[in-house]
Amino acid sequence: MTDLVLKNIGKTYPNGYQAIPSIDLSIEEGEFIVLVGPSGCGKSTLLRMVAGLETITQGDLLIKGNRVNDKEPADRDIAMVFQNYALYPHMTVRANMEYGLKNRGVSKDERHTKVMDVAQMLGLDELLDRRPGQLSGGQRQRVAMGRAMVRDPKVFLFDEPLSNLDAKLRVQMRVEIRQLQRKLATTTLYVTHDQVEAMTLADRLVVLNKGKAEQIGTPMELYDKPATTFVAEFIGSPSMNLFDAMLTERGIELSESLTLLMPHQYRGAIKWGIRPEHLLQSDEANGDFSLQVQAVESLGAETLIHGVLEDGTEQPKPIVVRLAGPHLPDIGSRMWLTAPLKHWHLFDATTQQRL
Amino acid sequence: MSVYFPQKKLPYLLVLPQLVITAIFFLWPAGQAVLQAFYREDAFGLSQQFVGLENFVDLFQDPLYYKSMVVTMVFSFSVAFLGIAVALWLAVMADRVIRGRMVYQTLLVWPYAVAPALAGVLWWILFDPNIGPVALFLDRIGLHWNHFLNGDQAMILVVISATWKQISYNFLFFLAGLQAIPRSLIEAAAIDGASSFKRFWDIVFPLLSPTTFFLLVVNLVYAFFETFGVIDTTTQGGPDGSTNTLVYKVFKDGFIGLDSGGSAAQSIVLMAIVGLMTVIQFRFIERKVQY
Ligand SMILES: Nc1ncnc2c1ncn2[C@@H]1O[C@H](COP(=O)(O)OP(=O)(O)OP(=O)(O)O)[C@@H](O)[C@H]1O
Ligand SMILES: [Mg+2]
Repeated sequence: MTDLVLKNIGKTYPNGYQAIPSIDLSIEEGEFIVLVGPSGCGKSTLLRMVAGLETITQGDLLIKGNRVNDKEPADRDIAMVFQNYALYPHMTVRANMEYGLKNRGVSKDERHTKVMDVAQMLGLDELLDRRPGQLSGGQRQRVAMGRAMVRDPKVFLFDEPLSNLDAKLRVQMRVEIRQLQRKLATTTLYVTHDQVEAMTLADRLVVLNKGKAEQIGTPMELYDKPATTFVAEFIGSPSMNLFDAMLTERGIELSESLTLLMPHQYRGAIKWGIRPEHLLQSDEANGDFSLQVQAVESLGAETLIHGVLEDGTEQPKPIVVRLAGPHLPDIGSRMWLTAPLKHWHLFDATTQQRL
Repeated sequence: MSVYFPQKKLPYLLVLPQLVITAIFFLWPAGQAVLQAFYREDAFGLSQQFVGLENFVDLFQDPLYYKSMVVTMVFSFSVAFLGIAVALWLAVMADRVIRGRMVYQTLLVWPYAVAPALAGVLWWILFDPNIGPVALFLDRIGLHWNHFLNGDQAMILVVISATWKQISYNFLFFLAGLQAIPRSLIEAAAIDGASSFKRFWDIVFPLLSPTTFFLLVVNLVYAFFETFGVIDTTTQGGPDGSTNTLVYKVFKDGFIGLDSGGSAAQSIVLMAIVGLMTVIQFRFIERKVQY
């Protein structure tokens, strides 16, 4: 059953700024949807409209089939985890978690059991009598999640909940959030600008760009078949190599002297893309093209080689290659590469859409 | 942290002006008061006689002194309470205003620039039983207003006059306090199902409590010691001592009653109260109220 439906949802702020022109999205029960995009693309705006903290200026929002556009946040049966956690500083952890239940008239005994259940699940039972000021960042994050969980809402909303944590804790909490969500099977809308977080958490991803959904799909769909150059560059790290090219009867002409053979009906200006991890090291006899090494980043398990494409022109075209294991090419040396056809991505140069 | 100066004299030289001012305007008169408190002077100021603690004994046996204490308490707590309550209400409203916010806030701050004595005169005119528009209006709705005869009405008048100006001051602090509360807290409470009334009492008000406590102390000190001008321009302590606060009584007994010894003894008691309040202020405000 679809749980949450956004029908032609749009937002124009009172100052006339149109943050979101129109978005359509249907979310299944128990699905984990991640909204991802660069800063200012309208992720928070969209999430806050679902929460009821921001008025919806266009379209319909349905939760379990009911239109909730005009309902108060409290009546939408959602719970939200804020980026700064928004814990009540003058209340204990217990009081923070209980507050929503108390306002809904849940009896004291029931509140107690619910809080204890969630506290145990999150490892907060020792901290119940502390104030938020006496907790570490990671613990506060857990309390914020606990406060959302005790109410057992229909939908969880997260607005960049991990961005205030250090890198290691972030990875740990990411795994934990995913496990909890699976266990509770609560429909979740999660906002982040971190594409790794997005890829690892999402059942389906929504890539937002300037308030528009560029593509909606599973992480692997977006990785394998990005619908636009924006998605191609946004998903994957380091991001996809993209080059301007002409598609002619001879193939993909990257420059006068460099053409990649490919039969295709389309003719005209395109963008040709290949991910750094799909380029293979080769030799002069078998290579498709070569690069001049400019910098090497050794990460142990893999090596990132930054260079410029040698296509016979003066114009430098940066390219990144990701090779497994350690490699130590000299700076300035030439490296031959092959680009397997099945990993090519072609986009229309004007519309930026996938061909 | 400590700072060391190469020369020994410079630091003393630097604090000298402050010390001189303190000596001339505080220590010397205070010393005079202490001395006077142990003497009795005749009404014409011609002769003095050492009487030991007799001025204090008289003071603490004087029912009028206790009456003045009660008057001061009622007056001060009324001013502090009214000033804080009205300012908080205005600040909460101002915090919600989006259009014309600056105009609204600036207008609310203006009264603070008015001298207390002027504020007194203003309210005195408004409430004058014969010509004051407010008094005439009250008469028309069947409430006979004459603060020259009615002690309670006189008290209400001085409380309003003294509070009026303080509201601006409190308002500024509350507005800053409100703006320091993260919006997401209020939003979280809204999602948690709290009505706007509950959001105020459960979240906003407790988070403002350090500000409120600070203002309570400041307003009490103000009402205690800085409202001479207001009382002098309106009721002059009357009728029948119903608005005769401790500070006003010092002046009245000393300069009108010409009892310099008794007046001096009263100012020493007041100094002790100031000292006590300063201690309270430092103890609690420096340490900040915990929530
Ligand atoms: N109250 C407002 N009035 C006018 N414009 C606003 C308002 N709030 C946000 N905007 C604008 O709407 C756009 C989207 O903002 P939003 O906060 O949704 O971005 P975001 O994707 O969450 O970014 P970030 O990753 O930085 O949090 C931005 O360009 C922002 O300037
Ligand atoms: Mg945001």
